[in-house]
This record gives sequence, structure tokens and C-alpha cells, in this order.
Amino acid sequence: MTALSLAPAALRLRVRPATALSLLIVALLVVAVLAPGVLTSRSPNEIDLQHTLLSPSLSHPFGTDDAGRDLYTRVVYGARESFGIGLGATALAMVIAVLLGFTAGLARGIVDTVLTRILEVAFAFPVLLLALLLIAIRGPSLATEIVAVGIGSAPGYARMVRGQVLHVRQAGYIQSSVALGHTWWAVIRQHLFPNAMRPLVAMLTLAVGQSIVWASGLAFLGLGVAPPSPEWGALLDAGRVSITTSPWLEIMPGLVIVLATLALTALGRTLQHRLEGAAR
Amino acid sequence: MSRFGIPRLAAAGGSALLLSTLLAGCGADATASAGDTKVQGGTIVYGHEQEPPCLYGGWVQQAYLDRNILDSLVTEADDGSIKPWLATGWKVSDDRKSYTFTLKSGVKFTDGTALDAQAVADNFAYWEKGGNSTAKVSIDPYFKSAKALDATHLQVDLNKPYLPLLTMLTQAYFGIQSPTALKRSEKENCEQPIGSGAFQVKEWKHGQEVVLVKNPDYTSWPETAKHQGPAIVDQVVWKFLNDPVGRYASLSTGETNVIYDVPTVNWKDAQSKYDVQQYITPGKPVSIYLNTIKSVFTDKLVRQAFAYGADRKAAVQAAFHGVIPYEGNPSVSQATPGYDAGVATAYSYDAAKANQLLDQAGWTARNAGGYRTKDGKELAIRFAYPAGSVFTSEGSTVLQILQQQWKQVGFNVTLIPETQAETFAGKYSTADSYDAQPWYWTSPSSAILWIVWRPSTGAEPNYSNSSFYNNDELSTVIQQGNSAATTEEANKLYGQAQQIIQDNAAAVGLYTQTTSLAVAKNLHDVWLEKSQGEPVFADAYFTK
Amino acid sequence: MTTAVQAVPLRAPLARSGVRAARRGLGKLAAAILVLVAAASVTFFAQLLVPGDRATAILNQQTGRAQRWSAADLAPVNHRFGFDRPLLVQYANYVAGLFRGDLGTSYTQHRPVTEVIGDELVPSLVLTVAALVTAWVIALAVILLTAKRNRFVSAIGSTWEALTASLPPYWIGVVLLVVFAVELRIFPVIGGTGAPGTVLPVLALAIPLAGFLGQVTRDEFEKVLDQPFVITARTRGMSDTAVRLRHALRHSVLPAITLSGWALGALLSGAVIAENVFGRPGIGQVLVVAVNTRDVPTVSGIVLVVAGVYVIANLIVDLAYTLIDPRLRAS
Repeated sequence: MTALSLAPAALRLRVRPATALSLLIVALLVVAVLAPGVLTSRSPNEIDLQHTLLSPSLSHPFGTDDAGRDLYTRVVYGARESFGIGLGATALAMVIAVLLGFTAGLARGIVDTVLTRILEVAFAFPVLLLALLLIAIRGPSLATEIVAVGIGSAPGYARMVRGQVLHVRQAGYIQSSVALGHTWWAVIRQHLFPNAMRPLVAMLTLAVGQSIVWASGLAFLGLGVAPPSPEWGALLDAGRVSITTSPWLEIMPGLVIVLATLALTALGRTLQHRLEGAAR
Repeated sequence: MSRFGIPRLAAAGGSALLLSTLLAGCGADATASAGDTKVQGGTIVYGHEQEPPCLYGGWVQQAYLDRNILDSLVTEADDGSIKPWLATGWKVSDDRKSYTFTLKSGVKFTDGTALDAQAVADNFAYWEKGGNSTAKVSIDPYFKSAKALDATHLQVDLNKPYLPLLTMLTQAYFGIQSPTALKRSEKENCEQPIGSGAFQVKEWKHGQEVVLVKNPDYTSWPETAKHQGPAIVDQVVWKFLNDPVGRYASLSTGETNVIYDVPTVNWKDAQSKYDVQQYITPGKPVSIYLNTIKSVFTDKLVRQAFAYGADRKAAVQAAFHGVIPYEGNPSVSQATPGYDAGVATAYSYDAAKANQLLDQAGWTARNAGGYRTKDGKELAIRFAYPAGSVFTSEGSTVLQILQQQWKQVGFNVTLIPETQAETFAGKYSTADSYDAQPWYWTSPSSAILWIVWRPSTGAEPNYSNSSFYNNDELSTVIQQGNSAATTEEANKLYGQAQQIIQDNAAAVGLYTQTTSLAVAKNLHDVWLEKSQGEPVFADAYFTK
Repeated sequence: MTTAVQAVPLRAPLARSGVRAARRGLGKLAAAILVLVAAASVTFFAQLLVPGDRATAILNQQTGRAQRWSAADLAPVNHRFGFDRPLLVQYANYVAGLFRGDLGTSYTQHRPVTEVIGDELVPSLVLTVAALVTAWVIALAVILLTAKRNRFVSAIGSTWEALTASLPPYWIGVVLLVVFAVELRIFPVIGGTGAPGTVLPVLALAIPLAGFLGQVTRDEFEKVLDQPFVITARTRGMSDTAVRLRHALRHSVLPAITLSGWALGALLSGAVIAENVFGRPGIGQVLVVAVNTRDVPTVSGIVLVVAGVYVIANLIVDLAYTLIDPRLRAS
């Protein structure tokens, strides 16, 4: 009953239209990441100097940029990189957050104090500064961005995890489990971890969305991945200058980011509510 | 418990439409009424781009400011001739190694110190000691000494004849500062250089603006000035607006009266609403250095194939929307005296020729990716470029277009954008770190050829020679040009030098560095200085 | 058994005994200083990891070039800034300076770092605090108005929150700039530091944050409205508005308060973007330039200031906890 298994929840037949929509969008995103050729027949780097800066039309749903490249195709192929950054950064952040948060929440006294202090020091480094320093040290690349966004957002989540652990640890069923002689590891695995993390499931999808937004912010500051990468942030950065003359170059990638983040967030919240429902 | 209604997608779609309409619509333009009555006084708000770390130094961003605060010995007219400024006249010795300048008398710096020959000599010493490394490199190794003969006569001695000397001295790097002021702390000299110019620095709000106020006792305007007398406006607020969207928009809302660097997408719009001036920077254009000692480019055939292999002209045209001119001459830009136009026509796009040259060079095999290989090695090019500082996103588009075209003939070009941190740290300055790298130099004279192409030796390395191209014949020709007796002779020799560089494809031409200004219609006589394209406000006035 | 997300304070409420309180206070102060020094030290050493030579970076930045320099050119620079001394000596000098209140001198601007930061700290703080406050106001307003009412209204509320939380700050910033400053002319394009110029940058940062805070608080809010003590209050005749304001709000804001500490850091990072887009001075810009030019004292100084702001923010958050709920209950 407390397992994080999705199967029983998903079999429920009542699915709201909004949830269906979110699922559809996320499904499209997954297709874009795994098999972009399904969604578009062009290549993202195919230049065509005869057809530059075309506004959206049937043959070019998002228009073309100043090298004649089809923006829709670039957005589709960009999903891989943007999503990659989002997932990678969130995974990294969560791993760090769980390790730090659980250790701090379970240990007592000096370990907790030291870890909390370390977290506070980590907080002094806004994501931006970390990104700047990392990129200054290693040069801009996909890996550096993932690490920068991941490490930068980890302290916040670590704090939340720690809070959750501290709260759940006092619960009655934990005490009774320990009294029954279960090993600490079994208690963590069966009770503590699921109950502490369940409320944070929605946070995961939110985190992925936020990471994508953050990565695009780095591209805005010129710290993004190398061209001709169609990463969404890079597209936004390139389109900015033309916002009054060719607005689709800036609007379309932005809308895609918003929709993707929105769908992910909605899905996450639905998932969490179902899991919480199943846990009652 | 999340209940998203159907409205969600409709809302998103609707807002997209609304946004597009609003953004694409032209706002009411704010061209101020351009009447005919000349107004005395007023404040010019100028939207510049990059803020320098100090207000005086060897960076062109500092030259822009200094042109309005400091006076130089001589100035360059539009036709390229040298005209008097602080120096009312000059005599050159027969052996062309000694210049005697007659200085205008009675000129004072804004701190009261007299601007006499000794003050100018002190400035020369200051530059040579490291006060301005760009000034120094412009006159080394020709400059020997400067000494004051009396209050109004200055003698400058050279080691060897150097015809471009006067042209070099027209740059704002050679602006004369008060020797009393130079003795102050570094911080004060950084914040508030003291000169004798039309304006003086009142305050510098870091991150925002520099406020320049009129120097009411100004007596030393150049012969190229558009009016006689001190500045007409009371002050110039020199703002730093990095973002091109905001900078251009500020002109339309009237928050600025004149801006720097009009975004090329807005060029047509600007031409219809404002007075637009474009200045093509002399010196070395933005051209691609090819690493001639430690990459696939050691083979001349490969370099030439690289030059033929992509349509650089079309790429520049498309990415810059026709605003910035293509430059086929990699060593000297079209605005430089001594420019050889014939050299610029070489290597126009010819994919067949590129393929043929590469086959000839032995790169006949192809790998799975379609790129050429030779002895198992791929024809891979690491193309590092300074993103953000030198290359805007439009410049980056040029490179992306070229990358695709080079792919067709078999080059695997990897674009490596350098962050500013890496650029300044010199990460891509060694022969191991790149195969191709574009850069530019500003210089009012073809003497830039010596600065860039002087062969690098162990004893005297030339870190500006980013092609690592050591050609003794080239070196001799350039030096002869520098020491020539007449301009015609010099230009002929400089032309030969440009031909050598082009024939050997030591660098590949791309586009010229340009400056542009958009001026509101009620502001007049803001002009761009010939030597470096600095905006000059000393003659500007409003009308109503 | 509920699995509500209950925020737990990081430190227990202040003890009543005066001595213990004083000891605790001193302990906190010492911890705070430790955090600050640690942060500055990490930055100091991190910057030494950046490849390339510091003297080269300084000379290049002064001349706008990107080349190597001869040893003869580099030597005076190395000597001036003490780069030729052993690393630990440089570090020791730096830390000693910190305790004297001397953050060092900027390598590129030749001014004390305190001046470099001081000039531009206030606009950034104003922007950050205003954005946080505005975000809270928007989030609370939306929640109070739309939480747990009929389906349609609730849906609008949570949709709005999810939508705004997904907006990239600079994208919305550029859109706001073009729509409200350029086309409609309500606000100036060049923000500067004045009040009218601060509205758009604040909105650009506050709107996405409001969505984020709102989402977190909404969950709590709706759960609290189901709690027994709230139902009791209603049966005793308390109006809906009063219930929402007096009971539900107090309990549900705790997670969001925790997040506010983190939000402060996110806002400071976002401030760079707002400063860039709206032409506003601020330490975000200073930071970017300082990292690019390897101006080690300035970067370390900024980290110090940010850490200091965090320490103060933490203290305020702790205070807010004890004010809102002096004895936190696990439900």
C-alpha cells in the first residue's frame, strides 16, 4: 500500500481531459526526444538562403530563421537537448538532495549541524554563480550545464527532503516498525523513504520544468551549448533581437517551453494526488 | 485535486495570437519634431553598448569616450589626409626620422595645467611605459623619444622612418592627458581622466552611465570640427545599454537621442525614422586566422580549399540582412588607406575547385559521416570564435551557415564559442588550441599589417600573429612599406603584402567591423570620427 | 494518516532561559561567520581553478585583446597584484583582509571591492525584495480568491499558477518590455533605478515566482481547509473569509516560507537577466563581468554579500516561524 507503484493508479478509468492533454503533450515530447524523425522530415541544420525569415505557414508551421532553417524542426530536435538538461539536472539534484537530506534528517547532533552548515554555504552560491564558475572552469557544454543547474538547485531540495525526513521519522508506524525489530535499512526502504518522498513527487516534475527554464536562462547569458544546437534556450537567445520584426522566432520556442513545463507540472501533480489517494 | 479546465490550451493559443499581433505591430514612432531653430544647450542622452573597466586605456571602447574628453596632436579628415589639432603644424626632417610639431599656445587642461610641449612629451613617456599598450604597439619599434624644445615645440625622434606615424597619432589612444593628473592614483585616473577636450567627466555611475559636462574654456578644436568654439550642448549622458532590443527601443520612446550599433534587423526601420550613419572600420577586418603550423592547415592547398569551399559572401549577406559588407580581403579592410581591391576578389565560392584541391592534397577518402579522411585522420577543424564580445548572434549565424557549406565539401567544422572568461584568459591563443579563429583589429593605417603579420621569433614573439604565419618575404615587404617615402610607394608595397597573404591563404576574409549610429531627427552634427569611428558630440546641437 | 507536507523548522524555538539564549545567539553568530568565510574561501579557490593566467586575463581585458603576453609584460602585473607570492599567502592575506573589513581591490576597476559592490548592491536588493514581496502578494491573492471554491474558479486559479510558473523570466521580461514599454509606453524602456523603471523588472521576476509559490501553498491551503479544527471554526459561525485568512493561511504558508529563502537566491540569479533586459544596474552584471575577467576579489566579495543576505534571511525566516506558529504541531 505504501509502495510507489503506478500500476493500480493508472488502471483507473476516470481520466480528466486536462490530464489527457498533459499526457499527450508529454508523449509528443518523448517522441521528439527519442524519434524526432517521426514528427518532422527535415533536418534541423538544413540551411536555405532563398527562404529566410518566412512567417509561419503550412509548409513551415513555425516559420524560418535568418539562415532559412525550419524553426519547427529545430524545436523538435531541440527537445532532446533541453529535456536532457532538464532530466539530467533534476536527477543529479535529487540524488544529492536525497543523500544530504536523509543523512541530515536521520543522523543527529554534529552530523546534522555540519550538513546544515554546508547547505547554508551552498545556498550562498546562486545557480548563476555556480554556472558561471563551472563554465569558466570547464567551458560551455551540455555536461557542464547539467552539473551547474543540478548542483545549484540541489540545496533547496535537500532542505525539503530533510524536513520531510524529520517529520516522518516521528510517526507512529516508524516507531512501531523499529520496536518490532526491523533493521534500519528495511525501515527506511519500506516506510521512511516512500512516505517522505511521496509528497515530493510533484516537486520532481516541477524541477524538470524549472531546470529547462534555467538552462535556457544560461543560453540567454551566452553560456549555452555550442551552435548550431537547437536547444530551446539557444533558440530564444537567437530570436530575441528580431522580436519586433520576426516575432515568431521568439514566441514559438518560448511557447513550447511553457507548454512543456506546464504539461510536466500538471502530470506531476496528478501523479502525486493519485499516489496520495492510493496511500490513504 | 488539480482541476485544469479546458480553457488551458485555449488560453495559451489565444495569448500567442495576441502577443504576435502586439509585437509585430508598429508602435507610434517618437521622432521628435525637427524644426529649424537651433537651440543652445540641452542634454544629449547617448545609448552606447559596452561599459569599459576604466575610462582611459587601450581598448576601443575607451577610445570612444576619450575622443570627447581628450585632444590629440593631429586628426584625420574624411579624405584620409592629416589635419592640425593640438599641433598647428609640423616639419619632417630629410631623413624622415625626426618630426617637429608646433603646438597651439594657451591651451589648458581642465585642471588648470598648461598643455605645453613638455606635457605632450610626458604623455609619450607614459604610453611607452605601459600606460597604453595599444598606443605603444602602434608606434613600436619605430618610436625612439619625444622631447620638448620649448613651450610650443615638440620633437619626436624615430629609429627608422615610419610613414604611418601621423595617421597612428590620430587615434584617440594618443589623446593627451594632464601630466598632473597622471601622477594621481590609478583609481582616479581610471575614473576620471583629465584632458583638454570639449567635455570633461563629471561622474561615472558604474553599470549605468558616464556624465560628461561641457568644458566652457575649450579652445583647441580640430580643423575637422564642424563649428568653432566650445560644445553647444551642456552635457552628454553616455549610457551603457547592452541589450540591443532595449537600446533600439529607447530611441523610439525618446529616452535616448542617439544610439550606437543599430541592430541589423531594425536597419530599414531606422533609416526611415532617424539619421543613420555607418562607419566601416579600417584595420584588419573580421577575418579567419588559419593555424599554419600545427593543424591540417599547414598544407596551403587545404587552406585554399577552405577559402573556396563556402559562400562567405552569401552567408554574410543573409545573416546581417545586407547591412554589413562582405570583405574578401583578409588582411586589410576596405576603409583602410592602402587597401588593395583586387586582392579582395580572390576565392569566390567554388565548391568544385575546393573539392579538386582537397583531392589534390590527398584527402580523397570519405568516412561514414561524409567527411574527408587521409591516412585514417578526419578533416576536422576546430573553429573557435569569441562569442558575445566580438561575435553577436548574427555573426554566429554566419558561421553556422558556413559550417553547413563546408560540410558539403568534406570539412568537419566544429564551432567552439569562447566565453569572455576564456577569451581574456588566452585559452585559445596557442597553436594547440584551434585550427581556425576569426578576429579583427582597428587601425587607421595599413601599418596594421606589421602589427599582425610580423613573424614571431623566439626572442621577440608576436602574439598578435594568430595564424602563426612566418613569411620573411612578407615581413620585408611590410617593413619597406612602413618606411617608404611617399604614400603611393607605401600603398604599392602594402598591396604586395596583401597579395602574399591572400595567395597563401594565411587568413580568409569574412566581413568588416562596422560602427553605426542612429540619431533622432532633432539632433544635428553628431559625426563619426574617421580614424576609429568614435562618435563626436562637440559640434552637436538640438533644433526645435 | 495524512501525509501532509509539513515544514519543520531548522532550529527549535528559542529557549526561555537568558543564558541559554545568549549562548545560542553567540553560537548562531559564530556559525554565520563561519559560513561567510567558508563561502568566500570556496570562491577564492574555485577561481584559481579557472584555466589561464590571471595576469594575462587582466592585460587582455584592459586592451580588448585575447592574446598571450610576454613575460616582460606580465611580470609587473603579477607583482602588483601579488600573484607571484605563494597561493596560501595570497589566501591568508585575503582572509585577514576580510576580518579587517577590507574586501580587496578590483583587479580591473582599480577600486575597492566594497565600492564596486556598494554602488550596485542597493538596486539589486530593491529588485529582489520587491520581486519577492510582489510574488507573495500575487500568490496569496490568487489562492485566497480561488482555492477550494467551485470547480471552474479553482481550475482558473491553478491553471494560472502553473502557467506563470513555467514562464522563463527573460522571455516574459522581453515580452513585457516590448508590450508595455515600447508599444504602450506606460513604463520607460531604460529602467534605471527609479520607481517607474522598476515595475517591469520586478514583474518579470515576480510573476513566475508567484506561480511557483502559489502552487506549493495551494496544496497546503486546500488540505488545511479540510482539517477538523477548521470545520469546527465554521460550525461556530466563522465566515469563509475569516476562516481562510485566520486559520488556513497561517498553517499553509509554512512550506512557502521555507522556499522563500531559496527563492531569494533564485531571484538574485534572475536579477542578472532582468538587469540585462531592462538596462538596470545591479550586482548581477558586476558578477558576470567579474567572473569573465577573473576579478577574484570582486567575485569573492559578491559571494560574501550574498551569503550575508542569506544569513539575515534565515534569521528572518526563523522569526517568521515562531511568530506564525510558536509551537509547531505534527498533525
